[in-house]
This record gives sequence, structure tokens and C-alpha cells, in this order.
Amino acid sequence: MAASANTLTNRLKQQPWGLWWLQARRLTRIEVRRNLFSWRATWIYFLAFVPTIILLIHAVFDRDGKLAMSEDTMVLAGIVQFYYIRLGIFFGCLGIFSRLIRGEMVERSLHYYLLSPVRREILLLAKFAAGSFSAILLFGSAMIADFALVYMPYGTVGHDFVFNGPGLSQLEAYLAIAVLACLGYGAVFLLLSMIFRNPMPAAMLVLGWEAINPVLPSILQRISVASYLRHLMPVSVPGDGIFALLTVETEPAPAWAAVLGLLLLIAVVLAYSCYRIRRLEIRYTTD
Amino acid sequence: MSVYRHDYRAYSGRVTPMWARVGVLVRYGLAEAWSSKITIGLGLAAMIPFIIFLIQIYLANNPATRLLVSRNNLRFLDVDAEYFLRALEAQCWFALPLMSWVAPRLITYDLADNALPILLSHPVSRFGYVLGKFLALFASLASVTVLPCLVLFVYQCDCAPPGWTMANLPIAFGIVAGTTVWITLLSMVGLAFSSWVKWRTLATGVIFAAVLVPAGVGGIFSAVLRTRWGMLLNLPVMMTQLWQRLLGVPEVVRTGRDWSLPSAAILAMLIAACLVCAAMLHARIRAREVVRG
Repeated sequence: MAASANTLTNRLKQQPWGLWWLQARRLTRIEVRRNLFSWRATWIYFLAFVPTIILLIHAVFDRDGKLAMSEDTMVLAGIVQFYYIRLGIFFGCLGIFSRLIRGEMVERSLHYYLLSPVRREILLLAKFAAGSFSAILLFGSAMIADFALVYMPYGTVGHDFVFNGPGLSQLEAYLAIAVLACLGYGAVFLLLSMIFRNPMPAAMLVLGWEAINPVLPSILQRISVASYLRHLMPVSVPGDGIFALLTVETEPAPAWAAVLGLLLLIAVVLAYSCYRIRRLEIRYTTD
Repeated sequence: MSVYRHDYRAYSGRVTPMWARVGVLVRYGLAEAWSSKITIGLGLAAMIPFIIFLIQIYLANNPATRLLVSRNNLRFLDVDAEYFLRALEAQCWFALPLMSWVAPRLITYDLADNALPILLSHPVSRFGYVLGKFLALFASLASVTVLPCLVLFVYQCDCAPPGWTMANLPIAFGIVAGTTVWITLLSMVGLAFSSWVKWRTLATGVIFAAVLVPAGVGGIFSAVLRTRWGMLLNLPVMMTQLWQRLLGVPEVVRTGRDWSLPSAAILAMLIAACLVCAAMLHARIRAREVVRG
């Protein structure tokens, strides 16, 4: 047992980690530049920052003094729960991550990467890291800006809420939600884009699944990114209309369990993606 | 080989009428749309609520069922304007995935393959080209929206006691008007966004996002600025209110806030959306070829 462990350790030590790290960094840099600084990326900026613009209008022009901070806290929670998780991050990650592999196939440029002396797993993980970095940077900074714009107009009361009250912990929770949502949806869409020639029908099924997830039995709710994120919400906003009647309330899971569950889901999906990319074949005539 | 003789003349024979040329585009568009198994699957899926509603009409008009249910005084068997609103909503929302799948098939291939110069060199104008594609999409969407809803109405007319038809005729007009507005808008949105997204696989997602993201943005606008006008960006809310009014169903305020919008504002917003889509199509549907060096 000890001998086999030693063999494994030796084998791991013999791997060219330095080279892999260098290749991954270079690939990540190329992809980040493509994701953040191209005309094609402008719509992701729109998705991330459109609530910020509305909150800016509210902060500058709509200060009538009769608004309650508790109401604004609920509005912010609603923006995160209903806009960012279900729409903004979902469609943003769909655009970013489905382009990483499938987009290169459509543009007929993936074979350049596959012909270069880079392990395919390194290629996949570097692309995933680049997509995650771009998505987290955009949506994370948008959430920080939203948070600041909600509480800044309240002056000292807002300052007290943020620095001496529950404000900072709420911001931390929102950022954790943004990071996990980007990683979770990213991993799922990266895998879908490798499995299907057109990943959109499957992505729309995922959207439908996430939308109807609260009305499903608790066991099925676990196969969803949004259900894990719901447990991390510092302020919960109840559903409205017929969905509120049908919603199945699950046992509130501790934050560590929700985070661990989602990270496990991401790890499994990424491991399967690494397995898939080993067997990836490009047929440009059919793709 | 050089061509020395330049004595060509314009064709002076009988030409096909304009509508027939558009009809060719419609025919090929329909064939292209329904050649996909996913289109057929989505079309069949859209028939599931229709069958459920059809069974409900049968049960509602079956004396034995009515006798069993009447003891419990259940309202779910009532076939009234509210019932047709539910059917209309179900069918119309099933049309959204169908449109987002079919619209890119109709237009993106032509643009991605630089086929527009060849197509527009035939005796068909840019307007005729867009009209042909629009009609193909409109007909596909009508087959899962207005047709099933009208079949339900006709079946109820057949089953119901005499006098029901004349008393509820405005419902039929409401169904036709409501679905026509919806599928016209969907067709315009689908064609416009398909023409701007060259990558067909992405176009389906972009069309979905074009319908759902403004709804979220409108919701944020209304919640943050405490105004109902943000709902003018929320297509589901706007259409539900419009359908309710067309079918004569009373509006229920659920959340304590009145999000009700004036019908004129809703119609103005829908017309504006169609005009924006027309402008997008006008900018993209041109006989030009993109050559990359």
C-alpha cells in the first residue's frame, strides 16, 4: 500500500508541472483577452451592468427620502436571486463557455490548439479558467457596484449597515453566489458544448429545469445549480403567483454543505469534460 | 472565354406574379423549418396542453362527469373566458421555443453562407425575401397557437348548449387577435435576431435572451424606481394583460401593487418593438458578400 503510494507520488513529481502551468497561463491570457476586450463581448457587459445603470439612476435622480433601506435590501436580494442567477449569469455563461470549444469548431480554429504540443486537459482547464475569470470579474464587479449604489444614498445609516451591521456579510454572500454561479453554469455549458453540435436546445432545457426546480421534489432539486445557490442567499425573496403555491420548501442546508455540493458538481462535470476532450474529434465538414 | 456579343434583351415572356415568387420562399422556408426532428418534437410537445384542454372540454360537457363534480362545486370544469385564457397562454408560450429554433434555420444559413446575393439576384425584392421568411415562420407558429385554440373553441361550440356560441363569440375574436399579435411579434424578433447572429447555434440562445432578459430588466426597473412603466419591457406581463383584456377576463392584483398598464401603451410598445426589428432586418438583409482575407 505504502509502496504504491510512493510510486504515485514519484510519478506525480516527475510530471512537467512547470511547463503545464506556463501553457495554461498563456492559453488563459489569450482567452481572457478574447472574452473581455472584443466587440463580441459587449453584450456580456450589458447583461452584467444593466442593473447597475438602473440603480445609478435611482441613486442620482430618485432620492425622495421616503424609501426604506429594508425595502431596498429586499430589492437587491431580488435582483441577485431573480435576475443575476436566472438570467444574467445564465445567459452570460452560456455565451462565454459555449464559445470556448464549440465556437472554435465553428470558426475552424480548434485544430491549431489540438495540433500544438499541449495536453488536451490543460487546454480545457485553461479555457475553463479563462471563461470563469471573465465571468466572475464582470458579474462580481457588477454586484459590488450594485451593492454600493443601493446603500450609498443612505449616507451614515447605510455606512453603519455595511460596516457595523450585516451589510458586509451580505456582500460576501452575494459575491460567493456570483462566483459559484459562474463556475457551476460554466462547467455545465462547457460540457454541453462538447457533447452537442448545437448546445442551445440542451441549454434551454437547463433553463427550463432551473425555472421549474423550486416546484420539484426535494431530491430532484439537488440536480440544479440554482437550488444550491438559494441556500446561500443572505436575504430570501419569496416567489410570486402560482409558483409560490407550488414551491416545495426544502430543509435549509448549511452554507458549507451547499458550497461543497456545488463544488463537487463542478468537479464531476469538469472531470467528465476532461475525459470527453481526450476523445474529441473534429469533423469540420459536419460541424 | 471572352464574350463579344452583347445583344442580350430582357425577358419579354409572361412573368409570375409577385405573390407567387414570395410563395416559393414560403414553401421552401416551411420545408426547411419542418425538416428538423427537433422542430417536429417541439410541435408535438406544443400539442400536449391542447390535448389536456380538449379532454377538459369533453369532461365539462359530459353529463355523468358534471353530475359527479357538481356535488363538490368545482370550478375547474367551467369552460369560460378564463379557461380560454389559460389555453391561449399555454399555447403561446410553447410557441417561443419553436420560434427560437425555427427562425435561425430560416435566415442564418443564407447569411452565413453568403447566399443573399444569389437569392436577391432572382426576381424577388428584399421586402419579398423577408416577407417570405416571415410568412413561413408565422405559419409555423400559427399551427401551434391560433389553430389549436380555435379548434378548442369550435369543439366547445359543438358540445355546449345552443346559444353558447353567440354569447361567447368575442372570445374567438380575442383568441385570433391575441395570437396574431403574439406570433407577429415573435416572428419579427426571431428573424431580426437571427439576421444579426451569424452563428446559428448561438442564435437560438440569443433569441431566448432577447425575450427573457428585457423582462428581468423591466422587473428591476419597476422594483427599483417604484414605477409600473418598467413592465413595458416585460413581455410576459404585457402579453398577459393584453390577452386578459382581449378575452374579457378580469385582472387580479396579486402582489398588492397594481402593475396594470394602459392598453394603448402596450400596443405602442409592441409596435415600437416590431419597428426596431424591421430596422434590424433592413440593416442586415442586403445583397452583399463578406470576404475574409
